[in-house]
Amino acid sequence: MITIDSLKRVEILIGLTDEQLTRVASICQLQEYKANEIIVKERDPSSEMFIIHSGSAEVDLASTRITAEALAAQGPRAIISLGQGQLFGEMSLIDMGLRSATVRCTADGTELLVIRRDDFIQLCERDTDIGYKVMRNLAADLSFKLRHRNLAWNTGGGGQ
Amino acid sequence: MIYKVSFVVQGGTHPGGIQNLEERPEVGDTLSLGSGDFEILEVLEIIPPRGNFAYLHATCRPIEEE
Repeated sequence: MITIDSLKRVEILIGLTDEQLTRVASICQLQEYKANEIIVKERDPSSEMFIIHSGSAEVDLASTRITAEALAAQGPRAIISLGQGQLFGEMSLIDMGLRSATVRCTADGTELLVIRRDDFIQLCERDTDIGYKVMRNLAADLSFKLRHRNLAWNTGGGGQ
Repeated sequence: MIYKVSFVVQGGTHPGGIQNLEERPEVGDTLSLGSGDFEILEVLEIIPPRGNFAYLHATCRPIEEE
């Protein structure tokens, strides 16, 4: 069951009122996955965003290394663990591009909230206050990721 | 409060990662980033808090196996 309290843990929904969160909940579909099940595959077309409602998943960035040194290295695979309230696939809501990484479920019974792009865009256009807040939160999230990448390069890591 | 933390690893090619944590990470803590364990050397707030989220950056080093 999708609860307002669970949506309050989702970063891109910061600032939404309970009524607005109820509207967001109305376009979410709850899907259950088993451990090791692939949720999205790198370079596949995308049409939805996922929020982890319960359970966990991991993002495998093994093939996203972009420098010659990193490509040649036999170093560690970049794996990012995702837990409750974290999201992935959000870039597809904005740029409609291909999936940038493979995401695998890591716990049986993991529940994901799935938001289809068309439903999301329609909601944002109907309620522009929701649209403004979510887009601002998405921009802040992407800004944080860009800061992370810049800091990783400056520190000497490979960046993700 | 949820702590969204950008972890980077000094030296090498490890890309670090971003994790949401229930507790604020501190210098000297250890964490796992998928393929290894790391010690936190520095923690900075890089963006002011918004809602229930705090935004931190942590520099780490690999913990060598003995």
